[in-house]
Amino acid sequence: MSLFQVEGLVKRFGGLLATDHVSLTVEAGQVHALIGPNGAGKTTLVNQISGLLAPDAGRVLLDGHDLTGLPVHRRVAAGLSRCFQVTRIFPKQSVLDNLRLAAQAHDGSSLRCWAPRWRETGLTDTAVALAERVGLQQQLDRTAGTLPHGAQRALDVALALAARPKLLLLDEPMAGMGPDESERMVRLIEQLRADMAILLIEHDMDAVFRLADRISVLVYGKVLMAGTPDQVRNDPQVQAVYLGTESLEAA
Amino acid sequence: MNTLTSPAPGGAALAAVPAAPPARAWWLPLVLLLVLAALPTLAQAAGLEFYIGLVRRILLFALAAASLNFLIGDGGMIALGHAGFIGTGAYTVVALTDFGVQSAWPIWAAAMAVSALAAVAIGAISLRTRGVYFIMITLAFAQMLYYVCMTQRQWGGEDGYTLPMRPQLGFGLDAQNEAVMYQVVLALVAVAWGLLDRLRGSRFGVAVMGIRDNDVRMQALGYPVYRLRLVAFAIAGALAGLSGALLATCNSFVSPSMMHWTESAMLIVMVILGGLGQRWGGPVGALVWLGLAETLRQFTEHWQMPLGVLLVAVALYAPAGLATFRLPRRGGAA
Amino acid sequence: MSATLIFEQLLNGAGYGLMLFLIAAGLTLVFGIMDVMNLAHGSLFMLGAYVAALVHVHTGSFALAVASAIGTMAVLALLLETTVVRRLYGRDHLVQVLATFGLILIADDAVKMLCGPAPLLAPTPAAFATSVELLPGLPYPAYRLLILATGIAVALGLYALVNHSRMGMLVRAGASDRWMAVLMGVRVHRVFSGVFVLGAALAGLAGALMGPVMAVQAGMGEAILIPAQVIVVIGGIGSVRGAFVASLLVGLVDIIGRAFLPPVLRTMLPPAVAADLGPLFSEVAMYALMAAVLTFRPTGLFSPKAA
Repeated sequence: MSLFQVEGLVKRFGGLLATDHVSLTVEAGQVHALIGPNGAGKTTLVNQISGLLAPDAGRVLLDGHDLTGLPVHRRVAAGLSRCFQVTRIFPKQSVLDNLRLAAQAHDGSSLRCWAPRWRETGLTDTAVALAERVGLQQQLDRTAGTLPHGAQRALDVALALAARPKLLLLDEPMAGMGPDESERMVRLIEQLRADMAILLIEHDMDAVFRLADRISVLVYGKVLMAGTPDQVRNDPQVQAVYLGTESLEAA
Repeated sequence: MNTLTSPAPGGAALAAVPAAPPARAWWLPLVLLLVLAALPTLAQAAGLEFYIGLVRRILLFALAAASLNFLIGDGGMIALGHAGFIGTGAYTVVALTDFGVQSAWPIWAAAMAVSALAAVAIGAISLRTRGVYFIMITLAFAQMLYYVCMTQRQWGGEDGYTLPMRPQLGFGLDAQNEAVMYQVVLALVAVAWGLLDRLRGSRFGVAVMGIRDNDVRMQALGYPVYRLRLVAFAIAGALAGLSGALLATCNSFVSPSMMHWTESAMLIVMVILGGLGQRWGGPVGALVWLGLAETLRQFTEHWQMPLGVLLVAVALYAPAGLATFRLPRRGGAA
Repeated sequence: MSATLIFEQLLNGAGYGLMLFLIAAGLTLVFGIMDVMNLAHGSLFMLGAYVAALVHVHTGSFALAVASAIGTMAVLALLLETTVVRRLYGRDHLVQVLATFGLILIADDAVKMLCGPAPLLAPTPAAFATSVELLPGLPYPAYRLLILATGIAVALGLYALVNHSRMGMLVRAGASDRWMAVLMGVRVHRVFSGVFVLGAALAGLAGALMGPVMAVQAGMGEAILIPAQVIVVIGGIGSVRGAFVASLLVGLVDIIGRAFLPPVLRTMLPPAVAADLGPLFSEVAMYALMAAVLTFRPTGLFSPKAA
């Protein structure tokens, strides 16, 4: 059985079928990329997987546990963590404080209301380790909002890593990045795949074809096809969807 | 090797932020407490006993405002029905006194418990809404409490209820003595505020502030956001209930008007005036508002107008509130 | 309860609802288009009532009284908009609460300074002090018929304005997507001023009409504001149609609690309790209605911003 399974997810908004019986699997240590034109319903799908949106039908399974119907924070506890398409960090706080906040979520109850938090060195240690993982260890005391875009995305990833996830959901991590920053993010994802399964939503085809073990193509809410990068690259339907073959041949 | 940023020469990561708490004038609350404790003696010596009652009232609204500041400023939950919990506390005193309970401490404890329960019930429903709908629903619940109390004839209804005498304090303390009552109120308010202050620096406080800043991210980090908000709401409600119970005890009079939405709006005004999210926002706001009202009252019966002008002026020109001009604060609350 | 009595009470409920509509219409437009939480809207209602009462007593002409109320509120609104309200656009709701609460305090003290704290007498105009026989056996106060007629006329007028005029089109555009309207070149500030003044005029009209049937005193604005806000939320913020439907619903619920429920309760409970529970029901039912609507339509019945 796969580490992560989505079975027949369906979501309707009024008359619009945004998610049309989508199924996919991700194995441990694998990067599964989800690609498709704009408006295909990728973010809607991701929101259903992470728990922000309730599907009308279908199941989400992680490591044998049925996550369907669970609230977001329970899914995180079960090992499913996500990054957002639009960076969601705490811009007014320092990088260290951002990471300590993430660390706190997985280190005992947040209902403790007596002990002063500044005494908890354990949180700081975890936070520093997270920063090292993504290469932000020099930026710990910088205000998060002043970081360059690429570093903010890296922080976003670090926040998601605090949950020690089994499955990491990356929603367009390369969005808005120049070539250098993209390169660094790709290297980071390559590092991470050793420890967790990754579901990657991306438009950047270079990155997708470098990283993915499997690719699913989502069009109008439906999985058009799924397969290895070579299979996807050579599939005529997929080529037609992307209006010509230039973008795929370049990869 | 991960290199999103260039590596340090030594290669080691530095915890650049010291693990100490933000430096504050730690002695200030204690000095303030001593000054306030000395007040009754000084007032009596100067023949100004009136101020004992006034400062006592300011202390109680400082507590209520501080609890609302925690809710709005730290928690980001704009509740327009907070006076409802002052009312639940006050009417618990009425109900228990009417029932024959004579000892103050169980009455006040019960007032806090009832208010906390009311807050859990109201919060459980209200916290499922967002934005302006949350404001409206909290307002609606408080108005419902107001109308329920208006129709309770055995508690005086619209005319209010006069407590025959103050509940007993025990320990040889005479509750009828204004100075004694003042010291009891001061002690309770100081302890309550101290606990709230401590809570703001704890894990729970930090989590609540994180939820204020970005609740979607906090959920995605794994925090049980709804549960944490509900607990914050209950704590704020309980503290407001304590304030209401003590107000009822000191005034020996309770009326539904304590819960009218304009009272809730006044509390919000205090919080904003004092400084939203600032450590001393609640007390400063209560002091400024009630102090000004009392001062103006000496000169004219139309004291509301200059206050109204002040509010408009502050809103237009200094919306960050007045406590921001006070003690320098380093960083956030944790 | 006889059929004629029921009909009479329903008319009363409709009249109350329509007056609430006059206030809620302005409120929903200001909130929906300008995103301003204006707590002082009720004060415009109060000031309208005061102006009308004073003018009526001094000149004897009700028509002049109503016109004065509308006129002065329009002028006052223009003044307020230029000095205060304009600087509240785009600000945090809390700052708006602060400023408009200040305005309430100023308005309340102003009327107390000018007219004293006791309620003011707003006489029913002589021409309408009679009853009209609507149905055999049903004499209905002519003045309440005037209220009904005016309410319906204003509703129709607003409908025509919002749906069939250029100004209305701009208003609707602003209500559904303000920034888009700005980008499309709509002179947003002119629309804002117009909307604010219109809302104030309607509130003033409502105050002038309601004066003879309720106590004209400081604080009447705060009392009417809550039902008006609830109506705005039920109807959908920014929707005049929604405000109309919600106003009638609230008027209905109110009259059920005040007139229909007490006789029923009196059969089961002591009369004093029954008399109290009726109005309590009205209030609670209004909030329950709001909660019910929000459960099924989280943005209100006719929200222009509904997904």
